[in-house]
Amino acid sequence: MARITAILRALGLAYRRDQRSLESVVGNNFFLVTACLLQSAGGFIYLLIGVVLLFPLSTDPLRKIPASRLALWPLEPGERRLLRAVSPWVNPVSWVVAGLAVWAIRGKVSFGLWAAFAGLCLAAFLLSDLPFTPGGTVWLHVPQFPGRWNQLIRKNLREMVCTLDFYCAALMSLGALICRAIRLPLPPEAFVAMTVLVVLALSSYAQCLFGLDGAGGLARYRLLPLRGWEILAAKDVAFLVVAIPLTLPLSPLAGTAAALIALAVGHAPTVNRPRPQSRWRFSTGAGLIFGLIHAACMAMAASSVYFSSSLFLLPCVAAWAGSTWYYGRRLEAPAVD
Amino acid sequence: MISCRNLTRRFVDFLAVNQLNLTVTQGAICAFLGPNGAGKSTTLKLLTGLLPPSSGSITVCGMNVAANPLELKRRIGVLPEDLGLFDDLTVDEHLLLTGSVYGIDKRETRARTAQLLHALSLEHGRHTFAGACSHGMRKKTAFAMALLPNPRALFLDEPFEAIDPVTSKIMRDLLVAVARRGVTVFLTSHILSVVEQIATQVVMIRKGRIVWDSPPAELPLTLEQHYFDLVETPVVEELSWLGSPQF
Repeated sequence: MARITAILRALGLAYRRDQRSLESVVGNNFFLVTACLLQSAGGFIYLLIGVVLLFPLSTDPLRKIPASRLALWPLEPGERRLLRAVSPWVNPVSWVVAGLAVWAIRGKVSFGLWAAFAGLCLAAFLLSDLPFTPGGTVWLHVPQFPGRWNQLIRKNLREMVCTLDFYCAALMSLGALICRAIRLPLPPEAFVAMTVLVVLALSSYAQCLFGLDGAGGLARYRLLPLRGWEILAAKDVAFLVVAIPLTLPLSPLAGTAAALIALAVGHAPTVNRPRPQSRWRFSTGAGLIFGLIHAACMAMAASSVYFSSSLFLLPCVAAWAGSTWYYGRRLEAPAVD
Repeated sequence: MISCRNLTRRFVDFLAVNQLNLTVTQGAICAFLGPNGAGKSTTLKLLTGLLPPSSGSITVCGMNVAANPLELKRRIGVLPEDLGLFDDLTVDEHLLLTGSVYGIDKRETRARTAQLLHALSLEHGRHTFAGACSHGMRKKTAFAMALLPNPRALFLDEPFEAIDPVTSKIMRDLLVAVARRGVTVFLTSHILSVVEQIATQVVMIRKGRIVWDSPPAELPLTLEQHYFDLVETPVVEELSWLGSPQF
């Protein structure tokens, strides 16, 4: 029993240290703005956000122990079974599901809602046990791009589709596409609002463009004979290649303006305060105030292009180009530590 | 080819490199030896422009490292300490990236890639993502990336560690061959038996200071014995509990 207790204690410590899932939602532009704007929309929206938040948190705690290490530990079969049974309770989500079950029994929430909630957590728990390698063969065949940034753009694309931000934006874009297909009578404002929301879902990633490169990747960037603006531009091309098609069912020009501004503003934290990110999580942005300013800039750019003139796209391009040049120079400066 | 004068690097209150003076001539294979934490990797980062020095000057390939960082990068090949690989690119794509970024045409890049993958026994894993490669495969990929642009100077941080014996021999032979053609090789390593076979200059560093710099022929003892005498004497602790009855 002492061995199991020691392992569970270590797991609990590892779990407390791995708070990035929660941070990623708190520091994500989309969730910040959604929480601010949808206060009157009622509990359902918050439940939805809660479900999205809980999905990445619902992983199997035993995954934190390398499989080879677990296999090597001198544990009796009974101890292994006990560890398997007890370890899920290291995860706070298990306690939330149990608490909801009590509420369901007392009739405070419907049994169906609890079952949906518990089912989602169980699915995430089981999926996290599947073997998975970074990148994955699914993304081996990313399209080729002309020019010498080709492989960098392809790499950046693969990184982008490994964040949950992309899937959140894709879901909204798909919703808009369905609205278009069934000719739902929506006011013009709805299109620009949805366009901003789609780009907003991706915008936290624009604040941490080097987050998935790891320490090795950052070292390689410093060794490549490329100017700083070229490295940033390769990142930005990948971002635009994802963002613009996702706004096609809505307002692509307004979407392009919002995406360019997202990048122009996002270069500052990307270069000045690079934050490591985790795959299959929401990206963590630079913070609450910066996130709100970022979102406001994007909304202004998209609204100007949509309601006033497409010519407002030009200052957005200029802002992006200026930011890329300026922060590219900052990127070229040798590392201080 | 590589020269530094009074090179110093300080990290807050820790002096990693202290008044280092070093000259490596063209075509030399310079082995930079020392214990963990002696300042080897910091020196390599300083020489390749990855870190700015606190004081002192560095010249590589006739260029001031601080003044011409981009031009310097075009002329050197580096195997960095952390290998500098992207998890989301395959082995093959890393080499294609190197070719295009260094301005080598596609056909030539493909030819060099094929030769390097064959020479380093990487052909079977060419379509594997770096994130899914073994440490040895990752190191061979980073080594191939350093060689592909045909650099004038090579900086290799522990190139032979975690490499199988056959590939290690191939890498050694490659380094000797490129050095004969005038490429300067600067490497750090802990495998003294390998260093002994290829180095034309041995430099030993302890606590950020150079304590020995000569051709191997001028070593008064074997390399290992001289290293133990000068840099670090191995002390075997008596761990009495090891091997004692437990169960």
